[in-house]
Amino acid sequence: MAYVATRGGARAIEQAERLYREELGTIDAGRVQGLRDALPWLIDRVMGEASLYDADLAALALAQSGGDLYEAVLLLRAWRTTQPRLAIAAPVLQEDLFTHRRISAAFKDIPGGQILGPTLDYAHRLLATDVLGGADFVPVPVEPAPCAAPSQQPSLAAWQKTMGLVADPPRVDVAGDDIPDVTRQPLLFPAARAHSLQSLARADTGGVLALGYAAMRGYGNAHPTVNELRLAEAEVMVRHPSGVSFSAGRVKVSQAEVTSKGKSGQLELGFCATFGWNEVKVIAGATLDLNAPGAEKGSAVEEEFVLYHTEPVESSGFCIHFKLPHYVTFQSALDAMRGAAVTELAKDEVTV
Amino acid sequence: MSPPYSTLANLTRPWAAFSYGFLDPSAKREMRRKMIKAIAVPGCQMPYASREVPIARGWGTGGLQVTLTLIKPASVVKVIDQGADDSVNAASIRRFLARVSGAAETWDTLAATIVQSRHRIPEERLRDDQVLVLQVPNPEPLRPVQPNMSIARQMHADADYGRLWLVLYEQMVRSGRIMQGAAYPALVNGRHVMTPSPIPRWDVPKLNMARHLTLLSAGREKRLYAVPPFTKVEPLVFSDVPYKVEDHASLTCYRSGLRGVFMNEIPQAAGGSLHEASDSHLGIKAIRRAEGEAVEIGPLWYRDGEFRG
Repeated sequence: MAYVATRGGARAIEQAERLYREELGTIDAGRVQGLRDALPWLIDRVMGEASLYDADLAALALAQSGGDLYEAVLLLRAWRTTQPRLAIAAPVLQEDLFTHRRISAAFKDIPGGQILGPTLDYAHRLLATDVLGGADFVPVPVEPAPCAAPSQQPSLAAWQKTMGLVADPPRVDVAGDDIPDVTRQPLLFPAARAHSLQSLARADTGGVLALGYAAMRGYGNAHPTVNELRLAEAEVMVRHPSGVSFSAGRVKVSQAEVTSKGKSGQLELGFCATFGWNEVKVIAGATLDLNAPGAEKGSAVEEEFVLYHTEPVESSGFCIHFKLPHYVTFQSALDAMRGAAVTELAKDEVTV
Repeated sequence: MSPPYSTLANLTRPWAAFSYGFLDPSAKREMRRKMIKAIAVPGCQMPYASREVPIARGWGTGGLQVTLTLIKPASVVKVIDQGADDSVNAASIRRFLARVSGAAETWDTLAATIVQSRHRIPEERLRDDQVLVLQVPNPEPLRPVQPNMSIARQMHADADYGRLWLVLYEQMVRSGRIMQGAAYPALVNGRHVMTPSPIPRWDVPKLNMARHLTLLSAGREKRLYAVPPFTKVEPLVFSDVPYKVEDHASLTCYRSGLRGVFMNEIPQAAGGSLHEASDSHLGIKAIRRAEGEAVEIGPLWYRDGEFRG
């Protein structure tokens, strides 16, 4: 039977959902914990796109969706939006971050040093097939450096500012409640700076990469140099009603700053940060941010184009909505087409 | 005995996993404000935050947020997709609405206090105590001529609709008639051009000077707009080219015998097509009545294939 014309749609959808869930089997706390432990980078990516920092919830969403990332992000977003905003954290300053990894491609060495931290960048990507044969893959222990790098590092841009290489706009302190919040307000253009950065932070990794890569290949105006890439943990400082400031915990964050020579004779910066460690996203996002000012309306690097089209929940939802029946609109179009054909025929008869 | 002083416990309601009607009060407050604004400026698109809801974007999240804001335990909701109550997504939305609100479900247009619909307006005339909520995929009638939303917004502010007229004119020149199928652009209250959502041309006159309130909401695009009762809705036409609805007036539903309603075309393996009433519950009521049941069918917008209002 046709899937719409069937009577009893309620039963059909119920059973279809059961079929899907049956494949996934029982979800217990152990499975959620296992996913959380085994897939930290995936958890980070999902937490970033959901803009909800909770590894347990992210792992639960992955378990519930069987790893369908768009489903997982929707689950988390739909849960997140029902939660009250309890407090606004203090701004996170770069120099206060507990930095695990911080590199710059712009200089051979930078104040504070290049800190590789955890990375597969220089690993040979060999599949450890022996594991399937029963031989465990046991990571070789890390040998600690004789002298640990300081956990807090200055930003390279701070040095560049003192050298007059980049503009140093004065910092404007905005009261927490007055910071535009894209989860509570529509995204309109020209966008508030906060809305742009928030949208990039929760953008789809794949979408940001696709558009960022297009910009890098030449559809943008600016070629990025990675000024600084940083993986860190940030202390979330909130104020208790009694007036005491305290840390509500730490969150993993990644941020990238890319630069290119601007028309002003100074370096221009593009910036992107997100929850969790996700290097591809922040480099591509910062590249898009770098290219956005002055971009032609409707071009693939213009802010409105980029931000509307990299929203993971909106873009994936609209894509799959085409599965819904459209036979009324189709019938309406067909009517116009047949009407035009009749008109055409009548015209021909007149000329003959 | 309650304590003589206020405590957090006696000032608040018991904890619940979700708010009544799923949306939290701050989301509902924003919706109410934007809906009132939309009613105050008919046809004008009001941007709103558009929260994520537990169905995918593009699947009726805009309509759902409006209905969730309007719904109360005494509501009776009807949800249709392409005119059908038992269409899978309509069934899913109706079930969700009932689950989070305790409202009653119905298939009968006459019984509903809220009708949420995708792509159709029921054939029975809506009353002034009913609200129609239309799901909107693309709220911007200017999209075909201006995909950039911020520029389109400016064009609405300037009532700059010349390029829309031009598109219709070009269709006349190329095809001998206006080729716009569903989602026919219409001027609301003599000021804003809106897309009535992808309803067929057959349904657009039902919005003009109607007794009921229509709220149109695009969740993914974060825009809502309204046609208040007794508001002019005029499809864009040239003075010498009358507006044409789909040529369905003379078709007969092979299941119910209904005539003069919008039809679904059902292709037949042997060639040719049969037609069935797109308003599926009207069809069911007509069949029941023919079988001798005392079924109430309300007055229809169309009589003998002619729009009467």
